[in-house]
Amino acid sequence: MTDVADIHADIDALKEFRDVLTRFRHAQREVVERGDQEIAVTRASLEAKAGRWRSLLAGREADFAACQLAAAAAAEAGRFADCSAEASAVREAQERLDQIRRWQQRVEEEAGTFRGAANRFRDLLDLDLPRTENHLLAIITGLEAARGIQVTGS
Amino acid sequence: MPARPDEDGDHLIRVIDSAWQKTQQYWRDDMARHFERTHWTPLLAESRAYLRALGECMELMSTAERDTEF
Repeated sequence: MTDVADIHADIDALKEFRDVLTRFRHAQREVVERGDQEIAVTRASLEAKAGRWRSLLAGREADFAACQLAAAAAAEAGRFADCSAEASAVREAQERLDQIRRWQQRVEEEAGTFRGAANRFRDLLDLDLPRTENHLLAIITGLEAARGIQVTGS
Repeated sequence: MPARPDEDGDHLIRVIDSAWQKTQQYWRDDMARHFERTHWTPLLAESRAYLRALGECMELMSTAERDTEF
């Protein structure tokens, strides 16, 4: 003998699938938010690093300029002052700042490209999926009505 | 350490894919086939495309961080 539960197994499966779909929509919305957040964190981090190296560069340039002044004065007095360490420190700061700026540019390019995919997915989650859920609900309701089942919690 | 968002997204795809396979065991009429073609397949394809793009983006963000740690 066929159990009543077996007869309506498709309806129960559809209800369960619809619930999973709703949870999927909410959870993927969080994934999208976290993705955006990660990009924002990286941008802020690179900007902070750029700021730190800009400041270091300015300080090292000042040190180098002071060294050059001292070297010029020393040269007049017939002495030699070496500023190669200061020059090297300036070069290092400049190279690191340049590297950070290159990464900032790449991150902006990637974020721009990614924005299109993220917006499409957001539309899918916010517009298409609720429609799909409603479509499933209509199917469930239709099946229940056709079989004379009272609609509960659907 | 929490998983990357794209990894969590991939996990959610696996969960819903498994739920769909289970549903298919009980729902196999014309409506089911129509639903699969017009709703399910595009949903899966677009979700995977987004998560692939997110994964590549997250990879680049990590590399940017690593490559600027002096």
